[in-house]
Amino acid sequence: MTGHVPSATAGTEDVVAVVVLLTEFAMLRAPLLRSQVRLYALQSLAVSVLAVVVAATRHEADVYALAGLSFALKVVIVPSVMTRLLRDVEVDLAGSAKLGVASSTLVALGVSVFGFFAIGSLHVHSSLLPSTTLAVASAVVLVAFVLIVLRSDVVSQAMGFFSLENGVSIASLVVAAGLPLVVETTFLFDLLVAVVAFGIIMRVHHGRSKTLSTDELDRLRG
Amino acid sequence: MTVGLAVVVPKAVQALQVLTIMLGAPLVSGVIAHAEARLQGRRGPRILQPYYDIVKLFGKETLVTDQSSWVFLAAPVVAFSCYLIVPLLIPVLTTYGLPLGYMGDILGGGFVLALAGFCVALAAAESGAPYAQLGSSRAMTFGALVEPTILFVVFAVGLITSTDLPYALAATVRSSSEILRPGHVLAAVAFFLVVLVDTGRIPVETHTGTLELGMIDEARTLEHSGPALALLKWGSTMKQLILYTILINVFVAPFGLSSNGAPLSVVGAIAALLGKAMLLGLVFAVIDNLFSKLRLFKITEFLAAAFGIAVLAVVVFYVGPT
Repeated sequence: MTGHVPSATAGTEDVVAVVVLLTEFAMLRAPLLRSQVRLYALQSLAVSVLAVVVAATRHEADVYALAGLSFALKVVIVPSVMTRLLRDVEVDLAGSAKLGVASSTLVALGVSVFGFFAIGSLHVHSSLLPSTTLAVASAVVLVAFVLIVLRSDVVSQAMGFFSLENGVSIASLVVAAGLPLVVETTFLFDLLVAVVAFGIIMRVHHGRSKTLSTDELDRLRG
Repeated sequence: MTVGLAVVVPKAVQALQVLTIMLGAPLVSGVIAHAEARLQGRRGPRILQPYYDIVKLFGKETLVTDQSSWVFLAAPVVAFSCYLIVPLLIPVLTTYGLPLGYMGDILGGGFVLALAGFCVALAAAESGAPYAQLGSSRAMTFGALVEPTILFVVFAVGLITSTDLPYALAATVRSSSEILRPGHVLAAVAFFLVVLVDTGRIPVETHTGTLELGMIDEARTLEHSGPALALLKWGSTMKQLILYTILINVFVAPFGLSSNGAPLSVVGAIAALLGKAMLLGLVFAVIDNLFSKLRLFKITEFLAAAFGIAVLAVVVFYVGPT
């Protein structure tokens, strides 16, 4: 089972990616909406650190700029906007999840194992494609899906969506670090659009039904 | 003469491993307590306070309830000797196994630690006092829930090194960037959470608290007094340092150890170990101040999370990309 030993660089990327995965798990079980936003900020910080590591080891000056941008946007702006929105709606606790904490953690474990398995079964051995980090990234994306599916309030779903973007960022960083800065920045602006959209949903939904739970939306069906 | 030296030096270093844990443990606890107090804006106790406490308790008389038998007095001694045995098995000062180092593997060390915990719980149950019994039953319940996590961490270790010797894992971590594989990181995080539980720290227990209803490990020693209590207190600081040593010298940073047993390098290794343990202790002190204690029935969720991470560590080895 020893397999091939990763280089120090790939190893560092792995560690940061695992930190992102662990914060994703933590988001899954965080009952306070505020703490979920904080965990997202922490996770984004880890992604920015990963970008710096990638930039340093692969000598891509562009990626430093990307790291700075993603820090400004995902660690500072998005969390502060979400916190302000949360302060306005005065809802503290996330709505009850569709499954209990233990079951949803088990489901998340299951899908992340599937993520590892899926990338592992590709059998790619290349120094250009760090498949371990890619596997962790896919696990992050899948757990984010679980968060979106199982939580039934707007904030958790928004956070799940944003952190899904974090997972995709990791994958794109390690697979295609040399991608033109313009393309990468476009992804970040996509995120900004999503923040605006989710912000509007939050306000309108809370304005109409005095709650953030999406279960209430069932009643709109004709 | 040289042959004699070759026999004596490893044994001397081995004895030094035990002495380091024994004499260094109260110091590490003192530094943590001091740092914690400073973080809370208090002046805090002296760093050497744990030593004074232990010396003071040794000078006091032992009181025993009339319901309890010899077990009540024997348990602290047995527990203390268990904590003296474990440092023989783990890499405290050296990178290579000392004469008795291969006497047991990680599981063996775990069993000896579990025996110590069992003895203390037994003595607490034997005292017949309600709070001590409550502590003993809680400690055993949560101990049973922590056990699977430890097992899976050991499995992950076994998958990395193909052995379950702590020395072998430490050597693997040192020799390559093995430490940076996802499975290893997850196993280390799971073990970190186990240390958090086993040393009775915040999210699980307020270790400085005096409220009996919230106690787990602390409640077990409520009925002891005098030298027996001194041994229990000293033992719990040793248990803390042993767990820190395993986390540091086996999982995270097995650096600064002596590789040849030369006197200077051994002294350096002692300083390195205590320094690293104090740094780790600072991390625990910060965690203590950042989080609040979990409700008793939420602790199982915390333990389940640790278990989940440990399981993921093992599974990643089997299904993940190699």
